[in-house]
Amino acid sequence: MELTVQLLVYGILMGLVFALIALGLSLIFGVMNIVNFAHGEFMMVGMYIAYLLSTYLPLDPLLSLPFAAGAGYLLGIVSYRLLIHHILRGPMVAQLFGTFGLMLFLRYLAMYIFTPDVRSIKEGILVGKTLSMGWINVDASKVFSAGVCLLAFAVIYWMIYRTKLGRALRATSIDSEAAKYMGIDTKGMNALAWGIGGATVALAGALLAHFYYVTPTVGMLFTLIAFATVALGGFGSIVGAFIAGIVIGLIMVISGQFVSELKFSFIYIVYFLVVVFRPRGLFGW
Amino acid sequence: MMLEVKNLVKEFGGLVANADISFELQQGEVLGLIGPNGAGKSTLFNCIAGYYKPTGGQILFEGKEITGWPSHLVAREGIARTFQGMKIMANLTVGENVMIGAFCRTGDRRIALKEAGEILDLMGLDGETEAYPAELPIASQKRIELARAIATKPKLLMLDEMAAGLNPLETKEIIQILQRIKEQRQLTLFLTEHVMEFVMTVSQRVIVMSAGQKITEGPPAEVARQEKVIEAYLGERYAKGR
Amino acid sequence: MRQLLIDIFSFGDRPRFEKIGFLIFILIVFIFPWIVTSAYGRAVMIKFLLFALFGLGWNLIGGYGGQVDLGQAKNVGFGAYATALMIVWWKIPFWVTIPVGVFFAVLESFAVAYPMFRLKGHYFAIATLCVALVWKELFIFWDWTGGARGVEIPIRTGVDFAYMQFNSAIYYHYFILFLFLTQLLFMNWFRKSKMGYWVQAVRDNEEAAASLGINVTNTKVKAYCIAAALGAVGGSFMAVYYLYIDPDAVMPLDLSILIAMTVMVGGAGSIWGPIIGAAILIPLDMYLGAWLGAQKRLGIDFMIYAMIMMVIAAKEPRGIWGIIERVRKKRSR
Repeated sequence: MELTVQLLVYGILMGLVFALIALGLSLIFGVMNIVNFAHGEFMMVGMYIAYLLSTYLPLDPLLSLPFAAGAGYLLGIVSYRLLIHHILRGPMVAQLFGTFGLMLFLRYLAMYIFTPDVRSIKEGILVGKTLSMGWINVDASKVFSAGVCLLAFAVIYWMIYRTKLGRALRATSIDSEAAKYMGIDTKGMNALAWGIGGATVALAGALLAHFYYVTPTVGMLFTLIAFATVALGGFGSIVGAFIAGIVIGLIMVISGQFVSELKFSFIYIVYFLVVVFRPRGLFGW
Repeated sequence: MMLEVKNLVKEFGGLVANADISFELQQGEVLGLIGPNGAGKSTLFNCIAGYYKPTGGQILFEGKEITGWPSHLVAREGIARTFQGMKIMANLTVGENVMIGAFCRTGDRRIALKEAGEILDLMGLDGETEAYPAELPIASQKRIELARAIATKPKLLMLDEMAAGLNPLETKEIIQILQRIKEQRQLTLFLTEHVMEFVMTVSQRVIVMSAGQKITEGPPAEVARQEKVIEAYLGERYAKGR
Repeated sequence: MRQLLIDIFSFGDRPRFEKIGFLIFILIVFIFPWIVTSAYGRAVMIKFLLFALFGLGWNLIGGYGGQVDLGQAKNVGFGAYATALMIVWWKIPFWVTIPVGVFFAVLESFAVAYPMFRLKGHYFAIATLCVALVWKELFIFWDWTGGARGVEIPIRTGVDFAYMQFNSAIYYHYFILFLFLTQLLFMNWFRKSKMGYWVQAVRDNEEAAASLGINVTNTKVKAYCIAAALGAVGGSFMAVYYLYIDPDAVMPLDLSILIAMTVMVGGAGSIWGPIIGAAILIPLDMYLGAWLGAQKRLGIDFMIYAMIMMVIAAKEPRGIWGIIERVRKKRSR
């Protein structure tokens, strides 16, 4: 019983982080119908920023969060301007390989700079602390991360559904041609989507770095988890990504309990089954 | 009887695109299908060609029921079609496009190649075998699509908006080609068009559709005079005020 | 029969400069091990031929078929494991293990193909990737396949044509050259066959293809299975060439990507594309690997790959062959 509750709590906490990771992917896909294979690498950049700032500067890793988000934003915008913009009109194959190239580039750039060594954040207010609530023990950093993810989700949701900018973004995602004629700067909206996508996922990375190892190759796995999440929630749906993130977190934690070697396989299988049998996702329309 | 359509119904989520359509098509006949935009012509075409599954009714081809068959089986049965918005294989040459049509009846590349050559000759495209479709003008691209459909050796050829986007001279040329091929290959033609001139000159009989219903059928000259046809095309008010 | 042979061996429909280029290429690869005697140079050549072979197989589904498959490594793995395990367990000669590896690769591909081809574009690409990764995790997880430790094939001395183990790289060179040429000739037949044209028709326009009597799903499934078979053969070669395999060596995502990339760089959907792509990427990879290995700096090779990939994607999605074709078109005008 205690174990079950503990697992559920962990699943939900992890799920909230997954949801934040998936948010950007879903947003980018919704706005311009392109899948970003480098998504996990954006996250990896956030992780390294948290690691560097907390290891080489007398900063708490928590203070690295805004830096990570800012760097992610810039990375997203730069990627859009230098690469994505040029492959958007090309055939699907070119789009796939373009973002794949971006993924490899970031991954091996990290490999070059940081070597393949596995690193982790050793000191910080939250690192290694445990919160006890009755008979449940949870990592303080996970609770805090989940809280930040919730907050970030709320902010992005508000931005997209309650502000003028968000309305322009949604218009672009529904019909970019029409939005253009309405005087919306669709290129700017595309870049913005990449910026937000980069910022949210890098933020998630900086949070994740509190309790997860940092390596140059960490991104791919999270990209795939994000794909599964987005597929489950319905491509382009923000609320879907939120709920699906929690579902994926639960699946991973629970299946990991039984066959820990295959816990990622379960997620790939979920992706496969969802896109094949319910391509709209669980919450798509 | 070449083609029989009985009480065909096609709905899209409650929206009735084809309501209870019935007609027959004789061997060797040229039947036209006309009607204003949104009358349901393309839907009817797509139901026969297997792109949509009809909601109700029956389609019989040479007495055999083909209702709801997938399009590749319909094609093998002997019904070929062209598309309204052209669907040409852009990364293959003109010759290869037509050859793929010929592969419907043969597995031998040499036979397919020879047939493709003959058909391209007939179309006046023999000089363009090695060219890519995008390098040619629209009129030639339409002919490629026609050639490709004919290469599948159909008994019934369905032409969807063949004259759309062509100038009067090009339209005339394609009519001549069609008539020549029809004679040579004993084809039955079923064509839809919302440009009246084309259908009226080519067809022996026309069906008029409006708002998903078949409103009348008969020889072109007769149908064109009917009140309800003019109404369908020009709107009720214009017909009454006349 | 005679016509079949002509279809397999004739490049007669290709322009003259291609035929000349091909002849020169064949000549070079045939005499290569007699000119280059360094073990390293020969290893580069063998790896080039192996990846050219992988490229040929992927080109069938990814180039001619237009279906971006990011899981070809799973088929390489099936081939490699079938060969390695059968040799280790039952001492079965190499040539018997090839069809077994092919069989399993085709069987698996056939089983996943029908649900998979309900998907298009990105969805399909990610699904292929997921399936391949599940297989890799399973091969690590299972004990009977050797798990993460992998499988080691006992070394035989001398020259053994039954188990294809040799004490000189020259043998391996002609061995992989033979496998490569059979696949090249197969592809030469395939591109001219009805099936080959159907696959391309489906790539270019599915609706039009269906209207010409082509069963779209069946065609895709067949192409996917044939490509799997071609990949498995290369996997079998890897097993006896490296004599040690593990999931990280024969089934990783990087391998799937590299295979797809050779074709994209060289030119997808053209018979020469995979060869050109492998001729550029593999020597680059080996050279950089050697140079960087000495420097203990990892990653530059893949960073260069990644740049090539992004430039190709943005500027010329049809790869180097696309550039060659364009130059030729301009000249002929």
